[in-house]
Amino acid sequence: MSQTKHIEVDQDFIENLCDEFGNREGTVVQILQRIQEKYGYVPADALDMIGEYLEIPKSKMYGVLTFYSQFYREPRGKYVLKICVGTACHVRGAGLLVDKVKEELKIEPGENTEDMLFTLEPVSCLGSCALAPMAMVTDTAYGKLSPDKMLGLIKDLESEHLSASEPA
Amino acid sequence: MVKVFVNGVEVEVDSTSTILKAAEKAGISIPTFCYHPRMDPAGSCRICAVELEDSKRVVMSCVTPVSEGMRILTESAKVADARKTNLELLLLHHPLDCPVCDCGGECPLQNMSFSYGASDSRFESHRNDEVEDIKSDVLVFNSNRCILCGKCVRICDEVQDVHAIGFINRGFDTVIGPPLGKKLDCEFCGDCLEVCPTGAITDKFVRYQYRPWQLEKTKTTCTYCSSGCQMNVETEKEAIIRVTSSEGEGPNEGSICAIGRFGFSHVQSTERLNKPYARSFSRLVPTEWDFLIPELSEKLRAIVSTGPDRIATLVSPRIPMEDAYLIQGFTRRVLRSNYIDSGARYGFMNAAFPIAKSTGTLRPMVDHQDLLKAKVILVIGADPTAESNITGLFLKRAIRKEKARMYYVGSESVSITARAKDHIRVLPGGEGLFSWVLSEEISCQESGRHPEFLSRKEELFKSFNVDPQAYTRLVQDLREAQTAVIITGRVFHRLQFAYDAMESLIRMSHALGWIERDGCGILPLPETGNDLGVLMMGATYEWLPGLLDSQDSDNKKRWESTWGEPLSYGKGGGLREILEGINSGAIKGLISFGENPLSHFSPQSGVREILSKLDLLVSVDLFQTSLSDQAHYLLPAASSYERSGHVVSVEGFVQSLNPAMTYWGESLSDGEIVSRLSECMGHPVSSRLTSDVSKEIFTLMPDLSPSTRNGEHFMGPTGNLILPEVVSQPPHKADRNSVASRLSEKTKSVLSPIFPESIPGEGEFVFALNKSLFHSGKMTLLDTSLMKMESSALVRINRQTAKKLKIKKNEMVLIENSYGSCTLPVELTSGVTENELQVPYHFDSPDLLGLFPRELKYSGPCSTVTMLRTRVSLKKIE
Repeated sequence: MSQTKHIEVDQDFIENLCDEFGNREGTVVQILQRIQEKYGYVPADALDMIGEYLEIPKSKMYGVLTFYSQFYREPRGKYVLKICVGTACHVRGAGLLVDKVKEELKIEPGENTEDMLFTLEPVSCLGSCALAPMAMVTDTAYGKLSPDKMLGLIKDLESEHLSASEPA
Repeated sequence: MVKVFVNGVEVEVDSTSTILKAAEKAGISIPTFCYHPRMDPAGSCRICAVELEDSKRVVMSCVTPVSEGMRILTESAKVADARKTNLELLLLHHPLDCPVCDCGGECPLQNMSFSYGASDSRFESHRNDEVEDIKSDVLVFNSNRCILCGKCVRICDEVQDVHAIGFINRGFDTVIGPPLGKKLDCEFCGDCLEVCPTGAITDKFVRYQYRPWQLEKTKTTCTYCSSGCQMNVETEKEAIIRVTSSEGEGPNEGSICAIGRFGFSHVQSTERLNKPYARSFSRLVPTEWDFLIPELSEKLRAIVSTGPDRIATLVSPRIPMEDAYLIQGFTRRVLRSNYIDSGARYGFMNAAFPIAKSTGTLRPMVDHQDLLKAKVILVIGADPTAESNITGLFLKRAIRKEKARMYYVGSESVSITARAKDHIRVLPGGEGLFSWVLSEEISCQESGRHPEFLSRKEELFKSFNVDPQAYTRLVQDLREAQTAVIITGRVFHRLQFAYDAMESLIRMSHALGWIERDGCGILPLPETGNDLGVLMMGATYEWLPGLLDSQDSDNKKRWESTWGEPLSYGKGGGLREILEGINSGAIKGLISFGENPLSHFSPQSGVREILSKLDLLVSVDLFQTSLSDQAHYLLPAASSYERSGHVVSVEGFVQSLNPAMTYWGESLSDGEIVSRLSECMGHPVSSRLTSDVSKEIFTLMPDLSPSTRNGEHFMGPTGNLILPEVVSQPPHKADRNSVASRLSEKTKSVLSPIFPESIPGEGEFVFALNKSLFHSGKMTLLDTSLMKMESSALVRINRQTAKKLKIKKNEMVLIENSYGSCTLPVELTSGVTENELQVPYHFDSPDLLGLFPRELKYSGPCSTVTMLRTRVSLKKIE
């Protein structure tokens, strides 16, 4: 598993965010979600900044952050491969998809590839059991997958990344 | 009121009461883990289960309210079964390592498991096997022993308002600890350690060093600050192992701060003086009391025989009333001198003198309970959490639970300012002017105001950045509030015009009718444990015991008849007059009881040279200090953990000190040293026993008889009640009627305006010395535990200023002015104004006092020595 450097959090971004939500009951989850939307995870520095700006105790925010599985405390890859391992997908071979990714990318569930391109994340149910076995990357769902199709998806994403990073 | 039956016993309780409270009233005890009387109920541990006879249901007694005719069974078979099952669930992760656990022997979980026979769990599941979190220097978190009752998290949130620890993760994986997996960073009050019902939180300083049942407990009063905390000093073989508190006991109700709970290692350090020393050929050599007392008496007698007022004494405001009483008696009767002063001269006198002058008492008008009832609280120039921790806790409770509106007036942010309704920022130096303007606005009709009022008010808004709207809200609130309290503290008392500022506040409280109205008044925070006590005992040149004017012939006569000998002392004086007297050669001898004037002046001020003119300098102290280099005699004093006596708290309670150890080495209490000298000089004392001196004081001044909060809890070292009749304890607060009759004639109606200190110019900074949360005076610098919490000085700089000067955290800066310079690492904060630098005053290096003016400066009619602020420039060291 690769450990990449934590990114530097933009102070102005956090301050604008804090101004938008303010220190009211129940804003912590939304603030954390917005931070994760931008950075892919919630950096520890961000908690320090919010804590100081809004005077919300860090211990309380950290409690929220660790309570919900939707939040990540470590940087994650550009493409998060959410592979459903719920009942229906499991029956139709979700395990084989996970194994294929593990073998191809040499990562364990929850880990990132060294180039920070992929993260493997088995999830419990994506709500489209008719398409089992299925996976989701960013906001796109891929249904009726097989290990080979999974491999193709990974290749597609890799080339998408390459073309995006090439100068126009 | 509703009637309920607990195990058949009928009790009548308030309709909002819970079953647990009803049972308590019926004298029936229900086991609890997560319940705590000072916090909101959580209902998380499920051990307080009881059965309702009618519905056969099992409910949690700590969260279930009573209803009319409810029949409750607290020990039925069903209840025992429920508790047993709950215990098995609580023990799910528990390693059952009682034999190596510090909590073993005083563990409610252990006791409960023994009572209900559930020492192991039937449930097999994923068992937590977390490694202990030993990152902190103070506390160890062992999450496997934790039953997640949440008491530690709640006391940190609800009582301390620090929020240092929280629940982490969810479900089975939940643990308790500081956020982000970092080292615990908090006020280290140790309240979480105190309330933890298992060994999940343990004290790292004494881990594995004791078994609770082998410790001997002594109940005594903490003398670091004036909160008057009741604490249990637990010793084994004459060594203090730990300090604990008992829930609900004393003014602190079970909370103690970091200094009180962890700061005792210095009194048993090898640095302690264990023998008296006498100077012989420029060296201090150990000697014996039996040689020393006659020799010293002879020297003193020789000086006294040349006339009155030739010898001065200085008294530490940490020593008990009894010792202060004996020292002032010795000074006035035996040494025939009125040159006597105490550490209250370093600031607190600026509050004490005007208050005592106008009200006739040093007992406060309001106490902590009044804070809880107050609608409006004005905190000005004070950091209650650091100066009187328990006052800080009650203040937080008043704001959080009682919704009091708190206004904070001052330049800096302290821990409580975030809770203020308005933090009225005044640039440093404007606090005095603020008090005068506020007082003038409220006390006088528009036509009767001082001609300079409007221009001064304008100056406050324009030059000192006071927000006019917040000011108007404060004026409005003070006028309308039925109950209001003003808290003043160290910064306020050390202002250049603190005396006048305090007079302004007194006049204002008079004008607002606060004197007659219960729950209103000023609460000045003394700086150390017994400032009030030593002043009441007359350890100051202004007053004889009982705050009687020392120059008044009637007062003199009264004490002459009490002591049975004539008093022939002269005018005398305080620290200023003493130093002047020594310099002019009029004063030949100085005895310092735990005081060190050198640590309150700039090293270039010439105090050392002045002291070198003395024929006789005696220093009585726990340790060698900078004064010892010059002392002719260095005498070892007993610490407050070793002596008995009484101290007066900020609320006016007179509480007892009880010895937890015998005197260290050959040390003696200050009172005993004085009694021996007195006897040897031909003035026998009636008794050397402290208890006899206490009796004498309480007979002469019956209103000073012992008193405490929650006296019913207060037990002596052997378990006997120290206060035999709790109900008849004397009032600790000032008597409003006598104050009212006195005040109407004593308050000045016209007060001339207070001049603010000048505003720092471009590139100039105000350098302020403040009190740390982890140190008390300089003595605690020898404390290994407290030094782990704060080991060196950091300078607090405003974040924006640092950004401008491109200074980052922990970088070194050079602070200098025409008097001196020093280098310090930086701590960034938004808590100070942009042109202010703050440093804790305790540390000896670097030389902070060297930045202060070299001339001996005194402020106000009381000639106080304040050393609060100076002007400097700031440079980053490349």
